[in-house]
Amino acid sequence: MTLLDTQRAFVAEIAADDELPPSSLGMEIYRNAYRGRLADALMVSFERTRRWVGEEMFEHASAHYILTHPPQSWTLDAYGEAFPQVLAELFGEDPEVPELAWLEWHMQQAFAAPDDETLSPEALAAAGLGEADWEHLRLAPAAGLVSREVSHDLAALWHALADGETERSVLRPTDPAMLLVWRKDLSPHFRLLEPGEFAALKPLFDGASFGETASQLGETELPRFGKWFAQWLNEGLFSAIVR
Amino acid sequence: MSETILPFTGFGLGLRKEHHAQFLSAEQKVDFVEIISENFMACGGRPLRTLDAVRERHPVIMHGVSMSLGSPMGLNREYLSELKSLADRTRPLWVSDHLCWTGIPGHNSHDLLPLPYTDEALATCIANLKLAQDVLERPLLVENPSSYMTFPESTLSEWQFLRLLAEEGGCFLLLDVNNVFVSSVNHGFDPLEFLAAIPRDRVRQIHLAGHSQGPEGMLIDTHDAPVCAEVWALYAQAIDRFGPCATMIERDDAIPPLGELLAELEQARTAASVPA
Repeated sequence: MTLLDTQRAFVAEIAADDELPPSSLGMEIYRNAYRGRLADALMVSFERTRRWVGEEMFEHASAHYILTHPPQSWTLDAYGEAFPQVLAELFGEDPEVPELAWLEWHMQQAFAAPDDETLSPEALAAAGLGEADWEHLRLAPAAGLVSREVSHDLAALWHALADGETERSVLRPTDPAMLLVWRKDLSPHFRLLEPGEFAALKPLFDGASFGETASQLGETELPRFGKWFAQWLNEGLFSAIVR
Repeated sequence: MSETILPFTGFGLGLRKEHHAQFLSAEQKVDFVEIISENFMACGGRPLRTLDAVRERHPVIMHGVSMSLGSPMGLNREYLSELKSLADRTRPLWVSDHLCWTGIPGHNSHDLLPLPYTDEALATCIANLKLAQDVLERPLLVENPSSYMTFPESTLSEWQFLRLLAEEGGCFLLLDVNNVFVSSVNHGFDPLEFLAAIPRDRVRQIHLAGHSQGPEGMLIDTHDAPVCAEVWALYAQAIDRFGPCATMIERDDAIPPLGELLAELEQARTAASVPA
């Protein structure tokens, strides 16, 4: 048996379910440590989700995830990446659960995302752009910036859970809205966007110029584009001018 | 690349997030801090800013848990590259990792798994060690882990394996005295025999930690309790053999207030100054 054979058999045994009992006391210790470490990682990453669904349901979901999603990255910090998707399957009747888990995951990712400067309104003003420059202006998104559609007021749920409230009454369904997560300076932020706002913002994130983006907007969004753009700059949604 | 690591004697603690604010607000009575390398790799934001600020006050040691020196499929190049970037930025006293493997391709256990002590495993570790040292452009420190099982195919003891690894791989050693004690209880060997076989000139750092009682008399390396009397006694023996050596107390769970760990570190200073 080669070293690799030994290691493959070892990993298969520590990652097996309870139908395959460990072959030795030592193997039982390694299996428990494996499961415990991954369960702890999920608890830390999805603390609010755990509070929302309750300890028992969370443990069930996390045990299922550990059996079906072996960690692949060299960093344990990457382990929960697919957990929101798995929660979407397990909590099909409660779409706020994967939405909340997605938000928790990406707030954590944004917290430690690789560094980018924040493009402040002052920095943009100091760039001394002329009218023609604005037409061709392209901007890079902020560190950790991601978006997804949600169907609940995640802001209300997020803050209620921070205050220890877990009553169902804190859950407020909304019309489908885009949720944005990003980091400004050292702190992660999130916000539910206004209707139409994402359509105005997305082309900029996709690399379109300011002029191209404005030309794609409909009659309703265009008048609000200037107001939104000032807000986006203040919120730190961009990291730099793309030269 | 330098082939040696100059000795650094002093007493340090692991930099844990529970104590970040205190390390940021004032100089603490430590001679160095040790970071878990992976907590600061491939990231930015507050974690890296904290590290930058702390290293202005204290020398830093980088201690890794994911290199997987015992992997016959070789080391993860992306990991090595990120580790190198962090080392270039942090300029640590040294970089360390463990004598273990952590997984197979496509499945990382995130644990320090035990190796059979065979010629094949030794050749694997030496090849991986040399590659890591080439990429990092520095010799590594390799730590003895705690273990909970042995392999019938082993032809070497752990201490023979470590000695050969250091001699043939050109690395230095991080002697975890608690791990020696835990493994000696779990596998029934004499911890002094372990210490006696470790080459004097290769040990650059010592780890001290607490452990917990596992099933059927086994000890588990949990890093969640103060250092016990038996480990203090073994530490005195280690200092007697290896001389003054950078010593660190590891606590990764049930983390107490910083003051308690600083008091425990004082105990290490005292123990190191009294002949065994």
